[in-house]
Amino acid sequence: MPPRDSATRSRVWVLPNRNTIGLAAVLIAMWYAGASQTNGAAYLLAFVLASVAAVSIVHAWANLRGVTITADPIAPVFAGEELRITLVAASDRNRTHCAVTVRAAGAAECAQFGEIGPGGVQRARLAVPAVRRGCFASLPLRAASIFPLGFFTARRALLLRQPYCVYPKPEGSRPLPRALAPTREPRDGQRVEGDDFGGVRTWQTGESQRHIDWKAAARGQPLLIKQWTGEADEILHLDWHALAPLEDEARLSQLARWVIAAERGGANYGLRLPGAAFAPARGEPHYHACLRALAQFESADEIPPR
Amino acid sequence: MNLFHRPASAIATAPLLAVELGLALAAAPLFGRIAAWVVALFFATCGARLLMNRRGARLPSLPLKVGLFGAGAGGIALTYGTALGLEPGLSIILLLVALKLLETNTVRDFQVVALLGFFLALCDLFFTQSFGMWLGVAVIVALLTAALVHFHRGKDAGGFRGAARRSGVLLLQALPIIVLLFIFFPRSRQQFLLQFSQPLPGTGGMSDSLSPGSIASLALGKELVFRAEFPDGHAPSMSAMYWRAGVLWRGDGLTWWRGPRMDAQLRTGQFAGAGVRQKITVQPHGAHWLYALDRPTSEGLRGAHLEPGGFLSSERPLLKQMQYEVISRPENREVTLPAVQRQQAAVKPSRISPHVQTLVNNWRTAHPGDRELVDAALHYFRNERFTYTLDPGTYPEADALDEFLFERRAGFCEHYAAAFATLMRVAGIPSRVVIGYHGGEYNALGKYVIVRQSDAHAWCEVWIKGEGWERVDPTEMIAPDRLSSGLDSFLETRAAAAPNAAQPSAAATGWRELRRELRLAWDSVNYQWDLRILGFDEDRQRTFLTTLGLGGFGWVEMLLWAAIVLALLLGSLGLWQRRSGRPPLDEAGRAYARFCRTLAAAGLVREPCEGPHRFGERAAAHFAAHAAAIREITALYARLRYAAAAPPAAAFIRAVRGLPALSGSPRKK
Repeated sequence: MPPRDSATRSRVWVLPNRNTIGLAAVLIAMWYAGASQTNGAAYLLAFVLASVAAVSIVHAWANLRGVTITADPIAPVFAGEELRITLVAASDRNRTHCAVTVRAAGAAECAQFGEIGPGGVQRARLAVPAVRRGCFASLPLRAASIFPLGFFTARRALLLRQPYCVYPKPEGSRPLPRALAPTREPRDGQRVEGDDFGGVRTWQTGESQRHIDWKAAARGQPLLIKQWTGEADEILHLDWHALAPLEDEARLSQLARWVIAAERGGANYGLRLPGAAFAPARGEPHYHACLRALAQFESADEIPPR
Repeated sequence: MNLFHRPASAIATAPLLAVELGLALAAAPLFGRIAAWVVALFFATCGARLLMNRRGARLPSLPLKVGLFGAGAGGIALTYGTALGLEPGLSIILLLVALKLLETNTVRDFQVVALLGFFLALCDLFFTQSFGMWLGVAVIVALLTAALVHFHRGKDAGGFRGAARRSGVLLLQALPIIVLLFIFFPRSRQQFLLQFSQPLPGTGGMSDSLSPGSIASLALGKELVFRAEFPDGHAPSMSAMYWRAGVLWRGDGLTWWRGPRMDAQLRTGQFAGAGVRQKITVQPHGAHWLYALDRPTSEGLRGAHLEPGGFLSSERPLLKQMQYEVISRPENREVTLPAVQRQQAAVKPSRISPHVQTLVNNWRTAHPGDRELVDAALHYFRNERFTYTLDPGTYPEADALDEFLFERRAGFCEHYAAAFATLMRVAGIPSRVVIGYHGGEYNALGKYVIVRQSDAHAWCEVWIKGEGWERVDPTEMIAPDRLSSGLDSFLETRAAAAPNAAQPSAAATGWRELRRELRLAWDSVNYQWDLRILGFDEDRQRTFLTTLGLGGFGWVEMLLWAAIVLALLLGSLGLWQRRSGRPPLDEAGRAYARFCRTLAAAGLVREPCEGPHRFGERAAAHFAAHAAAIREITALYARLRYAAAAPPAAAFIRAVRGLPALSGSPRKK
């Protein structure tokens, strides 16, 4: 069973929806027939329908309340892309839960869970637009269900306790700064002639598709990038201060683009931000550490002047 | 123009089938009430929509739907000549439901279709409110509920049985709320601006005049007229049960009618003879007829008048079932005949044939006393080979009486009663014809009498000076069995006595007896339904609430209380759901709970969000003497719960049992 505490148990509200209006109209017709015709059977039918609808409120509440929703680890994305979340819904040990939908606040897309048997677990995908850069500890979501009769909607606010990062959107037209030890002309995004083939690594979102090993992709392998060794002596210094005239967010976007380009180019690169510096290196951990620093960067403007 | 658009794919077949079954069941009783082709079209649409789902066919577009509706509505208008009124209205509703079904493709559509199913069930109840119909409606409600549940479970859900079970649970849990609403929901009796046009009950029943064949045509009907209970337990014998419905003062030969209205001259004061109390539930018939045993009194009568001539009449036309109590006193006689009645009861027929006049004159010369003359006339009917038959043929308008008395001598009770009363008038004895019912079927299970149209009867009353009105039933002279055993068995006995009739076997008789028992049992269920459910109106509610001690409640308070009780019920249901939603503890869980209880008894309570590990550390620090045992228990429990390959729980349970009761005051650090 997934840990139960990873999503806060917030209050479940059962509220009327559009279908409630139809229900009310039919109930009023039944009441009217009962009262104006003194039709006892019509009264009884109205009572049955009203009572079943009333009991369905409790069922809707219990249905949503008993579902615990967590998520698998969320891969980082760049702003403007979508967070691809795999939600995990776990049912109570002795109750069946049905038709729970989960969506981000204000988003149209939702994840739809089907019927989850007692103690069962079901996964569903949810794409949430990543708008703001940053690293977040939790994601606010809304769970809802109109089970069992559809006349009422049970709603619950969900705080998905799963950290995730949104890197700044890679943008900007500035060329990569010149290498410090240029034994060779670094050419952005270009394969360097005469180098030895150094193996492959997986393609990252935001990188150019030029180096993708399409032959391997055609064989059904994941998207891979061919790498060439022999570029280790190149060192790029990506500096916040070198982008002086730009706005903070534009600088972060430009730096993100440089990081992607440098990593793709196979050079060693260092990053310098106000309050943070990364020694020149390359490879996955370094790449993500740099982008993460960019995502978490707090603008100096926001620090109140003393 | 593209007449079809989106493919029919969004609705799963199983819920669609369930909701269509509910709709078809709700539409079936409309067969025979509204144009048959509309109902047939509806069924065809149900089938078509199902097929469209199977094949993923495209759904009709708006112009096509508008066209279909126009054609259907036009057809309905042509069938009825109008688009207004109950039947055309219901036809249009059914047409709309069919069209809605055809376009159903979304969650909202499905919801609307299910609601329309509930509405159709309501329409069924416009025509009949019988218990049988309500059982059908209950099945429809269950089906529609299950269809909704199955639909909302989602497409990958399991079989229909799960949905059926859930809807069963919903209905069962709704039961107490239904009962409470039934008892407490205020019934209003105010007039509404907009009245549902109400289907008039069948016009079959008594009429204000009697002509040859009018009772015989009633007697063929099996419809229920009323049921009578005897709250004091004194039921008269079947042959003595003369249910009075009306009195006819004017007659001419074999045809009698009511005559001019007379002012009510009700006798007040003394009532003679023993009283028979009856509780009578009349089926609606759209007129004013009420029934009571010979002779009703006005004691404690509500909602009805006692008319001159001694019969009951309701204040309002009976559009719904009515129940009343009446006390009849068979021995009660008027001593004086009011002048206006004497005058009416003495009017002679307009034309008396010489033959009839001679007959009566002969009686009169032989019997100067009125009573003797009445006996002589009865004798005449008994001795002159008159026959009693449901099918005497039609009598000519003009000489009906002569043809009946001297030629054919065959008739049903109305012929005899009318002829007898006419003969008495010719003889100068005040007479009148009484119409009503005779006997009935006793239901031993429910201890009441069922009176049907086939029990319709007519008899005669003559005024004997000094004794008052006296009942004379000439039918008794001709067919005594008819009155002692009822029409049905009279006809059967006669059929069996016919020379070429086969004798029924013992098995056939037993089977018939069983069917009769079942029919009577079903009738008593229906009677209870009519009495307790349909009859629970504003007055009955008020009386019932008074017995509960809530008599002084206005309806605002009642609504308020109903809301409070409803909230409490729903709340407790919610609590119960929450409780049963908690996973049950297994062996190890129970042992750990015991461990926690032991520590709690010693003053160390586990915090709500405290994990076993942290709690174990805290406990070990508190009870230093048992730190090793506590740590061991915690470690074992953690391994049981979180290790990939969990060890058997026995060691853990043993360890928990081995922990001694800890001292009440934990040692301070």
